[in-house]
Amino acid sequence: MIDMDLYFWVFASMSVLAGLFTIAAKDALPSAMGLLTVFIALASLYLHLHAPLIAIFQVAIYAGAILILVVFVIMLLMTPGERMGVIQANASYRGLGVLLGLCLIGLIAVGTKGVSDIVSMKALPQGFGNPSIFGDLFFSDFLLHFEVVSVLLLVALIGGIYLCKKRL
Amino acid sequence: MATLTHYIVLSSILFGLGTIGFLTRRNALILFMSIELMLNAVNLMLVAFSNFMGDMAGQVMVFFIFAVAAAEVAVGLAILIALFRHVREVDITRFNVLKW
Repeated sequence: MIDMDLYFWVFASMSVLAGLFTIAAKDALPSAMGLLTVFIALASLYLHLHAPLIAIFQVAIYAGAILILVVFVIMLLMTPGERMGVIQANASYRGLGVLLGLCLIGLIAVGTKGVSDIVSMKALPQGFGNPSIFGDLFFSDFLLHFEVVSVLLLVALIGGIYLCKKRL
Repeated sequence: MATLTHYIVLSSILFGLGTIGFLTRRNALILFMSIELMLNAVNLMLVAFSNFMGDMAGQVMVFFIFAVAAAEVAVGLAILIALFRHVREVDITRFNVLKW
């Protein structure tokens, strides 16, 4: 049984520290790594809040897809003054590396321990947070929203491809 | 015991950090990441309320925010790359004309 107070404070302080780093870092790449730490710390908090599916999507979509896209663009646009050596020589970035490592270890520790041990023991409706309930909600109460979002993604896809043309 | 208030305060702090980053930084990529930070703060608030009120609708809303964030990043970064082709710079103070 993990102490729930400690669990909250560890990940809350991690997310705030990493958030500060995100907005204060001089270079864009370490800033992106700070944002990654925020995402992972928040995913851990979502596990605690009976939202395992959101936690998985937080890691898969935010950390896995959105942030990788941002990192690709940073690498693509990296200005000559922003060489990797300069970034690697900065001590505060190493501190962030330690923070990110601790955050990942915490998430893995929680994952192996089992989510049921860390969620709050508050009385909730049967099956709360269960992925099958998401499916039911998507295709009943939120059907219109779901369709609108699918159109939005299609428009974003077409817009993204159009904007990347050689001659705009 | 972490209560709803704890989560509201944490979420507000993260949102505030995102706002400060957005208003003070000049690197367009860091502005993007500040926006992501704000979106994440809102997500945390939605999930916390969903948990403490026992209503799944909040978690479903987070999915829609994921989709909007993905669309925003895809289009936003494409615009940034298109701008970068013209000015060779990601400093937003250089983006001061609407047409080249």
